[in-house]
Order: sequence, then C-alpha cells, then structure tokens
Amino acid sequence: MKRTVIKRIPSFLAVVVLVLMIICPLLSIFREAAFPDGNFDISMAISTIAESENARMIASSILLGVLVVMVSSLIALPLAYIFSRTQFARYRFFDVIFMIPFMTPPYIASMGWILFMQKRGLMQQIFPSLAFLSDWFFSLGGLVLVMSFHVFPFMMTLMKNAMLAVSSSLDEAGAVLGAPFRVRLRKLFFPLLTGNYAIGALLVFVKTISEYGTPSTLGRRIGFEVFTTDIHRYATVAPIEFGKSASLASVLIGICLLIWFFQNYVTEHRAYSLVGSRPGSIRIKRMGRKQSALCWTFIVIVIFFTMLIPLFSVVTSSLIKLRGYGLRAGNFTFGNYVKLFTEDNQGTGALLISIFLAVSSATIASILGTISVIISKQAGKRCGRLIEGLSLIPEMLPSIVLVLGIMLFYNRIYRIVPIYGTIWIMVLSYVILFLPYTVQYVTSSFSQIGDSLISAGRICGGKPLYVFMHITLPLIFRGILSGWMMTFIIAFRELVTPSLIAPTNTLTVSTYINRQFEQGSVGKGMAMAVICILFSTVTLLILNKAISEKRK
Amino acid sequence: MKKALILILAVFVSLSAVFGASDKGIVTVYMPSPAGLANKLAADFEAKTGIEVKTFQGTTGEILARLETEKANPVADVVILASWSDGLSMKESGQLESYIPANTENAVGGWIDDDSMLFGYSASAVGVIYNTLIYPELDADWAELADPQFKNDIAIPDPELSGACKDFVAGFVNAFGWDTFEALAANGMTVPGANKAALEAVTTGEVGILIAGVDYNAYSSMKEGEPLSIYYPESGTVVNPRPAMIMKSAPDMDNAKAFIDYLYSEDAQKMVTEAYLLPGRTDIEYTNRSTLDEIPQIETDWSAMMEISSEAAARINELCER
Repeated sequence: MKRTVIKRIPSFLAVVVLVLMIICPLLSIFREAAFPDGNFDISMAISTIAESENARMIASSILLGVLVVMVSSLIALPLAYIFSRTQFARYRFFDVIFMIPFMTPPYIASMGWILFMQKRGLMQQIFPSLAFLSDWFFSLGGLVLVMSFHVFPFMMTLMKNAMLAVSSSLDEAGAVLGAPFRVRLRKLFFPLLTGNYAIGALLVFVKTISEYGTPSTLGRRIGFEVFTTDIHRYATVAPIEFGKSASLASVLIGICLLIWFFQNYVTEHRAYSLVGSRPGSIRIKRMGRKQSALCWTFIVIVIFFTMLIPLFSVVTSSLIKLRGYGLRAGNFTFGNYVKLFTEDNQGTGALLISIFLAVSSATIASILGTISVIISKQAGKRCGRLIEGLSLIPEMLPSIVLVLGIMLFYNRIYRIVPIYGTIWIMVLSYVILFLPYTVQYVTSSFSQIGDSLISAGRICGGKPLYVFMHITLPLIFRGILSGWMMTFIIAFRELVTPSLIAPTNTLTVSTYINRQFEQGSVGKGMAMAVICILFSTVTLLILNKAISEKRK
Repeated sequence: MKKALILILAVFVSLSAVFGASDKGIVTVYMPSPAGLANKLAADFEAKTGIEVKTFQGTTGEILARLETEKANPVADVVILASWSDGLSMKESGQLESYIPANTENAVGGWIDDDSMLFGYSASAVGVIYNTLIYPELDADWAELADPQFKNDIAIPDPELSGACKDFVAGFVNAFGWDTFEALAANGMTVPGANKAALEAVTTGEVGILIAGVDYNAYSSMKEGEPLSIYYPESGTVVNPRPAMIMKSAPDMDNAKAFIDYLYSEDAQKMVTEAYLLPGRTDIEYTNRSTLDEIPQIETDWSAMMEISSEAAARINELCER
C-alpha cells in the first residue's frame, strides 16, 4: 500500500506543476471573462462578442484563415508532389532552402514586404511601372499572400510525407487493372490523401488565426483587425479592458479546441497509415524536358516570392543611409549596424536579453519537459496520458491567449508570487509556451528505445538512477538537444510575450525591431532583423552539426 | 560539446548577475520619445546622484495603458507624457503628487500648473512637414491643404498614439471646429501610425506632406540630411508642454522629487534643446530650431481641450478610415 503511494508522488507532483503552470492561467482568462466582479455574469462576455465590430472581426479572422488555407494549398500541393514523386525528390538541399521562411520571423517578413510594396517603396524605385500593384497589395489579398508564404512549408512537409507513404505499387496495380491516369488520381491518390490534407488544412487554419506578427504589422497598416490584434489591443492600449480581451480569448480557445477535436476525429477515421510502404518503395518517373522545366519554373517562382523578396527588402533597407533618397548610388552604408551597437546600449541590451531568455527558457523547458515525459512513461496509463496531454496544451492554443492568461494570473497572485513585472515572468512564459517542443522530441526518441534495454540494465544490477544515466539519458539525449535547439531559436525571436509582459527597461530583439520600425530608425530595426535571421540560421547549422556528430 | 555547454552556462550566470538590482535607490520613470534624450537624461542623473533610473519608453498611449495595468501594484515614480491634456486628466483623477521643484525661478509662464503637479520641463510644437523632393516649396495654411492638388498625399500621426498630435487636434477643433479635418479626410488623408512612423512615410515619399507632425523629429531628420522641411502654418499651431509628474503612489517618492529637480537643472535643459525640443526655462539659449516666440500659436483653453481630446482623437481615426 505504502509503496504505491510513494510511487505515485512524482506523477502527482507533475500534474500539480503542470496545472499550476498551464491550467491556472487559462482559468483566469475564463474568470476574467465570466466573473467580471466576482459574480458569475456572462452577459458582458456575450455583449462583447456581439458588438458589431467584434462580430465583424471574428468573421474576418475566419475568412482570413480559410483564404490562407486555400492559397497555401495552391503553393504547397504541387511542391509536395514535385518533391515526393519526381526526380526533384533527390535534391536534398531543397529541404534546407524551404526552412528559410521558417527561419524568418513573420513580423520581419511582413516588414520586408511593406518596405518593398509601399508607395515609392523599393519595388516602385526599381520598376516604377508596377506602381499599380501597391494599391492591390495593401488589402486583404496582400495579407493572405504574406501569411501563406510563411505557413505553406508546414503543409508542404506534411503532404510530402503523406505522398511518400503512398507506394508506387498501388498506382501500378491500378494501371495494370486498366485504370487511366485520371481515374487512378481520383480513385486512388485523392482518397488516400484526403485525411492528411484535412489535417494539414486544419493545422494551417489554426496557425493563421493564432498568428500575431503579420496582422500586427501588415494587418494594422490596412486596418484589418483579427482575434490576436484585438486581444492585444484591449490588453495594452488605454483604456484597458481585460474583460473584453478575455472574452475574445475564450472564443478563440473554443475555436481552436473545436478544430483540434475535429482533427483528431479525422486522424482516427480518414487518415490511412499504409503499412509496409517505405520511401524506397516509390519509383520515380523521369520527366520530359518540358515538364522538368515547368517544375523548375514553379520552384523558382515560389522561392523568389516567399524568400528572396522579403530578404532582399530587409537587407537593402538595413544598408540605406538616408531613407529620403532610397536606392541610389552612394546612399549605402554599414552605419546602421554600427549605430545599433554604439548609439546607445539598447541594441546590445536587446540582444543580450534575448539570448538570456532563449538559453534559460530552452534549458528549463528541456529539463521540465524531459522529467514530465519520464514521469508520464512510468505513471499508470491514464495518469501518463493526462501528463502528456497537459504538457502539450500550449502547442494547441495561440500563444497570445496563454500569455494573456499568465499576465492575469500572476497579476492576481502578485502578493504571493511577486514575479509580475520582472524578467522571470518572461522566462516562465517562454517555458510554458515552448514546453511542447521538448515533450514531443523526447517522446519520439523514447518510442525508439526498446524495453529490453532497460530491463537488461536492471538485470545486470544497475540501480534505477544508474540505468537512467547510462542507458536512457544517452539514448534520449538527441531528442532533448533537438528540443532545446527548437526552443532556443523560437524563443530568441518571440514577439507576443515581450510585447505583452516585458518589464521596464527590457527590450528583446523582437520588440526592439518593432519599436525601431514603428517609432525609430527603420534602418537600425532592419539591421537588427538581419542579425536576428543570421543568428538563428547559424545556431541551427551549428547545432545540427553537433547533433549529427553525436549520432556517429 | 561539453565546452559549449560550459560556455552557455557561463553566459547564463553572468547575465543573471547583470540583471541584479543595485543597492543604491532606484527611480522608475515612464517617458515618451525621443529615446535618445530619455537615455541621456537617465545616464546623467545616475552619474550625478548614484540613483539607478529604470525607464519604460513608449508612446503616450502605451504609458497610460501601462499605468492602468499596474494600478494594483504601482511601479512608476515619475511619469512624463507628451500631452498636456492627458497630464491634466491624470491630475483630475487624483493620481498626482504636488511638489515645488528647485531651479524653476525662470520656468516658462504657464508650463507649471497652478497646483504644481504638472511640470512642463520641455515642449514641442506640431507643424507641416513636407518632402522637398516632391514639393520644393510649401507654405499652405491648414485649410488650403485640403486642395485637390494634394489629394491622397497627406498624412497625420495617429492622435490616439501621439500626445502632441492629440493636443493639436483638440486645440484646433476647439478653436475652429471640424470643417478642416473633414475636408482633409475627404481629400484622402491617411494615418500611418505614431509620430516616427508618420515621419517615415513623408521621408520615404509614401506621402508628400505630414500635418501635425512633431517638430523635434523633423529637425533631427533634417540635420541628418533627409530631404525634409517644416513650417508652422500662419493660422497657428499648438505648443504643448510635455508634463513630468510625480505619482502619488510612487514607491520611491524622494528619488522622484530629486529627478524632477534634475529635469530643471541647466545640464538637463541643455540636453532638452540638443534633442530639438523647446526648453522649459526661459534663460536657456538655443539656435538649432524655431524659437518659442517665432511659432504662431492658437489660443489654447486646456481644460476645454482636455474634455474633448480623447474623443477628438478617435474621431480623426474614424474620419480617415479607408
């Protein structure tokens, strides 16, 4: 009896910690929305949602999500096909290239687009005759494009893997039985992929309505309000209305949960996992010259628009001396980079703080995440699933909702835990937001360890700790490191947390760039943006190398 | 690999040390742009008194929001805004401490309120800023800018973010009514953002003319060599003193008072003029910008303006909504 109680202590503690970290902030959102004066009163929440401008905002958020799903499908599906079933599948370097949209934070990419497209901006300086495009760009259409350009690689990767799983033998079987190409596409290929496509589409939809960076820069320009910008505005611009902010956040939570349930349903009912098909089981057909040229053109166009234009725009803007004269010989300088570090200590400070936050949150999240995975493996089945489910919640919800919850919760318990308004609340918030990365990576590397290894260790007389240190830890270390790396890169450029709860005197790279873009020198802001992109790319490369060496 | 981990750990530890607070007192100051001035004032005050200055820099709108968020746990000692009318409404709601600062014998008349709670240690004015590559010469009055020849080429800073612009809108509407703004909006006036974003729009030529742009930003861009020029239209503008205020809830009251004294010191006032702002003392000389007596002013009734300023600012954004 006593033994089982002692055995349960770790899993009990894990649940308590996770509830405190994740569930309490979420509950304080509902509390703020439904108990405005301590009494249950949902009328204010309902009237907030029913306010005509908020109802319009909800409609336009959903419209934006749907349009982005459509446009990113148009980009991602052909690419997925090209990279899974044609000779392009062999060019592995495309995997690295299509990481670039991911390495460029959305707020930086959309600043690049703004600087490129605006009236008398870079595009009009190079091609004055294209001026008519500017008016078109600063509309919903432009917003949809820029957001699709950021999010399409997720769908591309997902669909590419799904297509790789459809073995060519199925296709050949169809052909042998006399089905023409179009029938095979309709009867065989599409049904096998619908489930995966639905998952990809839902993922893109959730990512789009959760995104804050692009709507806060480009969306604000064109007066297009969505959930995230409204939640942010109610929580940060006088007059502050946390109640309204929380009501909208509750609706957003509801939408996201609904979609995840739906996605779960699809995964269980429509997605096929084709047993026994490995990537090798795909026969690649050689294409004719014409088809090959067509593929190249498509790839080049995608790369040009999704990567080259924003990068070109950001880099060029960081090098321009006098904004009034634009692109002109003699008007280029590295001065913005020098000024970034010498004019005042804000630039250096922002870099140091971002590095500090990234290192500390990645380290704490790795430790916490690993512990919670280990505990969930050892706990009973139900309890284990509970722990895993709790630790993955932050992945399912928009970060702005979680940060709002953290803000409300720790403001309320300030007298007990006085971390509101200090740097530590940012560390905490980062840890909560990025915990799922570690949990996912460590869980997946756990699943590759056979039980027999651990049993062998125990049989040979190893104490649990010894077995952990010498068998389990080395085997999952790569997973931990990957999680650490992901967290580090994402945390380094995180925008939502610092823009809601950064204490006084504290600028991060992201808020520094935003501030310079909106109220300071665009040149300095873009110089910081270039440094930010370089920094995360180099970190990724170094750590990738470290991990692959470890593998040998 | 191990070395890298040790290095990371070392960075981590040393950074934690940097963030540790100093043991000599602190003073927390919320102040609007220009950031350069805020940093210089903070550094000089720290050097002179040994009191650590913690600053939060934001637009007037962001500062007010922050104060509201922190109502339960006040952090700010001194708050500086770029809008006199917002300062007056803070006084109205009883948030301010009265104090008679040192060095104020030569303060500009009317830039310290009767209850000695708002200290206009500096001031700015708004004017018409234009891109000289697009308009080599310009001296049109406010109403004349609604002329079709300027269609879709005029911008105004967001008065809900820029305190100076907000005060101007309130003063102008109070004196002349809404006709001019309505005509400008009908002529395609846009709101690109706070002061600096609006200035950026006219610098890059996205628009040719910025009305109600704060002058100190324009002067410093012109100094750098940007193709800009500024004038104050003849029917007058609003010079708005930028009030520094001591919060009643200040956790470090003595340091807050010392900081206000410092703002009126000769060194601090010199820095104010170096940032192209108007100094709060009459005995400080400056030649880098239009002086106070050269700027044509609208008759200002601050209490009437305070009443209408927030609504008027919101109305501008509504009028200009595309």
